[in-house]
This record gives sequence, C-alpha cells and structure tokens, in this order.
Amino acid sequence: MRTLSTRRAVTVFLAPAVILYLLAVVMPILQSLWLSLFEWDGIGPMKWTSLDNYARMARDPVFMSSFRNSLVYLGINLFFQVVVALLLANLLLSVTRGRELIKTMFFLPTIVSTVAIAFLFQRIYALEPMGIINLALDAVGLGDLATAWLGTTRTALVAVSIPEGWRFMGLYMVILYAALLAVPKDLEEAARIDGASEWKVFSRIRFPIIRPVWATVMIMAATYSLRGFDIPYLLTNGGPGTSTELLTTYMYKKAFRSVDFGYASAIAVFIVIECIIAVGLIIVILRRGRQGEGALG
Amino acid sequence: MNGRSRVAVGGLMVAALAAFAGPATAQDSREITWLFSRPTDGPVIATVTEVADLYAQSHPGFRLRQVTTPDRPSYLQRLETLAAGNQLPELFDTDATPFAEKLRNAGHMLDVGAKLDEWGLRDAFRPAALGYQMFDDGSVYMLPLEMQMEYLWFNRAALDAAGLQPPATLEDIPAMCQPLRDAGFVPLTVDGVDGWPLMRNLALIPFRLTGNDYIKSLKRGDASLGDEPGRRAVQWVYDLGQNGCFQAGFSADDYVAARNLFTSGQAAMYYMGTWEIGTFTDAALDPAVTSNIDFVTLPMTAGATTEPTEYIAPSGIGMAVNANTYDPVVEDFLQFLIAEYPDRYAARHQFSPLVSEAVTDGASPLFVRAIEELDRLGDTVGVPWDTQLDPTSNTRMQQELVLLATGEITPDQFIETIDAVIAEEAPRFFGE
Repeated sequence: MRTLSTRRAVTVFLAPAVILYLLAVVMPILQSLWLSLFEWDGIGPMKWTSLDNYARMARDPVFMSSFRNSLVYLGINLFFQVVVALLLANLLLSVTRGRELIKTMFFLPTIVSTVAIAFLFQRIYALEPMGIINLALDAVGLGDLATAWLGTTRTALVAVSIPEGWRFMGLYMVILYAALLAVPKDLEEAARIDGASEWKVFSRIRFPIIRPVWATVMIMAATYSLRGFDIPYLLTNGGPGTSTELLTTYMYKKAFRSVDFGYASAIAVFIVIECIIAVGLIIVILRRGRQGEGALG
Repeated sequence: MNGRSRVAVGGLMVAALAAFAGPATAQDSREITWLFSRPTDGPVIATVTEVADLYAQSHPGFRLRQVTTPDRPSYLQRLETLAAGNQLPELFDTDATPFAEKLRNAGHMLDVGAKLDEWGLRDAFRPAALGYQMFDDGSVYMLPLEMQMEYLWFNRAALDAAGLQPPATLEDIPAMCQPLRDAGFVPLTVDGVDGWPLMRNLALIPFRLTGNDYIKSLKRGDASLGDEPGRRAVQWVYDLGQNGCFQAGFSADDYVAARNLFTSGQAAMYYMGTWEIGTFTDAALDPAVTSNIDFVTLPMTAGATTEPTEYIAPSGIGMAVNANTYDPVVEDFLQFLIAEYPDRYAARHQFSPLVSEAVTDGASPLFVRAIEELDRLGDTVGVPWDTQLDPTSNTRMQQELVLLATGEITPDQFIETIDAVIAEEAPRFFGE
C-alpha cells in the first residue's frame, strides 16, 4: 500500500515535467522528422520526397564542410570548457588570496550578453584599425604575423570558436571547483605522505571522485557546442566563404533564407542525432575508463 | 434552456447580426497591422505614423499597429514564418524577390499596380520608383515609400593627397588603390559581413553593359557568369582585391565598421546609397572630413549601353498588401496615405518616390546636389542582384565573393561554383 502511494506521488510530481518535455522537446523533434521527408517552401503544398533530403546532405559540399567545421568548433570548445576549466579549478585549490576575485573574473563572461562578446572579439581580432592581438604582436616584433583573424579562411574558424570556449569556461570551472572541494582532504594527505606526486594525487584520487561531475560538464559542454550558433553567426555570419559555417548556421540559412524547410528540418534531425551520439560516446568512454581503473585497482 | 444551449443560441445571434451587417466599409474602421522592416526612427515610419494619426482623427476606431523589425534577416524570418502559417498582416514590407513572387503566385498579394490604375494614381509615382518594385513580367505588387540613389562617395582631401581625380570609368578604380594606400588611406571601404554591399560591386559592370537584362537571364540559369558581362565583373572584383582596394580584414567588418572608416576620414572611397547623407552631414563628425565628402554617379565602362544618368536607384523595400485581408478600410487608408505621404516625407529632406516638390530649405549641399541628380535620373535603373537571385544562389554568391575579393579563389573557380549553384537552385524558384 505504501509502495503504491509512493508510486502515485512520483507519477503526480513527474507528470507535469514529462508532459512539458514531450510537448516542448519531443514533439518538435518528431515534427522536424516528419517535415524532413518533404520539400516545402512555406507557401505552396508540401511535396513528399521520402529520404531525398538526407541523400542530398551527402552530396552537398556546404553541408559536409559545415559538419567538419562543427567538429572543430566542438573540439576547441571542449578544450577550453573541460580541459582548461579543470586545470583552472585545480589551480584555484592552491590559491589562498584573491580566490573569489579570480573566480568572479573567470565567471563574468558567462553573464555578458552574446552581442557584447561578439563586438568585443570583433575589435580584438581587427586588423584595420589594429585590434589588441595584432598590436601585441607588433609590440613584440612579430608584426609580420598580424592578420585579419576573422577575415582569412585559415584562422577564422579557430577565431570564432575561442570566444564561445572562453565564455563558458568560467562556468564549468566553478562547477568543477565545487566538485573538487568535496574530495576528502585526508585521502590526498595520506597519498602525499606515501610519496604520491601531484599528478598521481589528481589522477588517482581527485579525478575518480569528481568523474560524475566531470561527465556532466562534458555532456553539457558538448551538446551546447554542437548547438552553438550565436557567436559564429554574429562574428562572421559563416564566412569568409563557408569557412565558419556550422551545421546550426547552415540550417538557419536553409530554413529562413532559402525557405527550404524540408532540407533544414533534415539538418535539424541530423544535429539531434549528432548530439545523442556525442553523449553516448562520452558515457561509453567514461564507463570504459572506470572499468579500466577497477581492473587496475 | 440550459447554459450550453444559451451559449450556442447567443453565438448564432452574433453570427446572424454579423451577416446582416454586410461587408466592412471605410466608416466601420478598425485596427490594421503593418509589418515594417525599416529603421524605427527613420523618416518612412515617422511619416507613416503622422499620416496614420491624421487618418485616425477622421476615422474613429482606426489604428495602425506597427510591428517593426529593422534587421533584415530577422524580418525575413518573421515574414516567412507568418506566410507559412497563413498569418500575414494587412500590410507588410518586401522587395520584389523570388520569395515575394511565390507569395504573389499563391494569391497572397494584391495587384497594387492594377489598383493604382483603377484609382488613376499611377502617374503620382516616379516611374523609376515603381519600376524598381516590378516583377519580371512588369506587374507591380509593392508600393515604394522611399527613393534612393547609389553613388561612389569619395573624400576629396584623400584623392588630392594621392594626386588623383575621381574615377571616370570603373576600370580606373583598381589603378587608384596603390597611390591611395601610399598616401595612407584605405582606398575603398566595404562591409564584408552583410554580403550585399560587396555584391553591389559585382552588379555594376553588367548593369553598364546590358542594363538589367543580364541578371534577369543569369538568375534563371539562361546565362552564365562566364559570359562577357559576368566575367568582366568577376575579374574587376578580383582586381580590386588584388590591388589592395578594400580594407584589410574587410570580410569581418560589418556595415557600421565599414562606414566609420569613411566618415572618420580613414577611407578614401565608399560605394553606398543616399540614405547615408544624414550620416555624412552629421555635425558630430569631424568637419575636416565631412566638408570633403563628395560623390560621382556610377562611372562608365567600355562598351556601356546604359547612360551616365542611369545607375542603381532603389526605391527601397516596398509595401505589399495582403490580398486575403484587403477590404474597404485598407483601401481607404491606402488612398489617404498616397495623398498625404509625399509632401510630408519630402519635408523631412528625403527623396520622395511620389512626384512632389523637393524641400531644400535648410538641407545640406550634398542633399541638394543629389536632388538635382534625381531629376536627371534616366529611365533604366539598376536592380541589386540580391533581390533577383534565388536565396540559396544569393547566399552562396555572397560567401564566395569574399573569397574572390581576398584572392583565395580565382575568377574561374568563382564562375564555376556559382554557375553550378544557380543551375541546381534556380529551378525551385523560377521553374524548369
């Protein structure tokens, strides 16, 4: 009887969130899936094209380059938001004075508006008139390396990825720092007394304990990066050429510039699948890592 | 009678009363909505608001609801979403784009040209202003509310410093760039983020050679970019890039950044429309710069068939009328707007698309000179390519054009890529 009432309570409390999720997330995905099977310009009748839109992706050079760009964008973002953020969180543990100030400084970009960040980096990267990066290069005698970082295809993708990675690095640093604070200090002390190096303390004690939080951070950063849109769109609008075109910006252009809603929906479905695969891969890698540690232990 | 029955009967009575009342008349005024894609504080919206307020005084119940989205990509997103949901308002802004043609073909737009003929008001508009709004078949489904001319603006002091005269031909421009660089100026500033300003450069030589014939054929895939007008234009843009005419890193400079290079005196030349006269004469800018700003109309080129007085002169985004919601209220307001708009708009030192007395008292010398040019404007006005090409080809051309201008691709690669895109995409918009 008591079990039944608990089940009912769980159902009652979960139902609104589940219904909202179904309406706001699952239904649009299913609608996109349905729409991706048609050719539709938003005005005339919808024309059934079966899987043609998916076949079209394979022979669309802009889609393929956008996919590659999205992966590079993801890699750079993960480097900042997972690797550098973890490094900073560790360093914060050893800082005694000004820790709150440092945390605030790194966290600040998270709450600054996207447009402001885009404008800021537009100026930082500028060549004519010179932005701070090119001025700095000039000042140290490396003026020959000065370039329009957003204006050349060689550097533009990295240049648009860095602001996004930097922006949320502080957020993930704070989350990881909170997780590191929960690591029992006596374990670390014992390891150090036994002669463990700082790397050993990190890799054998700290990291295994914070692994669930790190996994969450990894999943959040990966899915947000795969859905990244605003900063690349504002900074370069996908250019020069298609060198900073991401799947998200390409999908937007296909939907609202080319009014090709069927193909845009197919790209949207692809992005959803891509996110699911990314999360699945992260979970698999983490499980293998844990099993490996278990075997070693 | 239970509650549900009472509601049903009440509903029937309301429906019956509505049916007996007959169709709406201009006297039964109501709110109408206009979806704008213009600057909120610009002269068009200010004049329309003034006229609408005047109309509301004599038509109780009338209200013009203005929904403004100045940013064009955001506006188009909104327009397309509303069109897809069959929720277009009574009035909405659009260019004579292939998408607008689809809306027209689907019966969503009123034949405004036919209405102007019916009301005897076609002659009230400047032919060039109406001509700009025409679809390829000559029909008019949008009303112009502004009139602009595009010029090559230059800084006289910069050209003097480089020992140069304003260009007489388009081919003069690439040759001017090195002397201007040597004199410390950016030769030709351009916005590379938004796509359309750079694309204007590509349209200039074909317009001089063929008027609008070439782009009308190119957009359907009937002509190739490799044909003479296209090839010369592509080569010219490539030469501009190779001669260092554009500012370094122009592809990441937006509209304001590009304009600031000119208004701050760092750039020597700037191809732009007369809508920027207000900026060029802004008292807050350095008078040493603004007093040196001058312009020439579109330079000529060898083999030109258009006259020196013919160039790109857009009458801006037009106002379309939703055919599905058109009624006597909308009709009456439109007639009132056409009657009251021109003089009030001209009084704001603007170029009216309707024939009206120009107001030059207190206007800047640049405006007065531009008004004189407007009076000399020829019969053929150039249309921007971004309003002609199908959206996908348009986007791709703008993207590839940046690579062409930066020398990352050759003219042949550009031609090959764009021809292939047009061949693939044009049939979706213009039929096989």
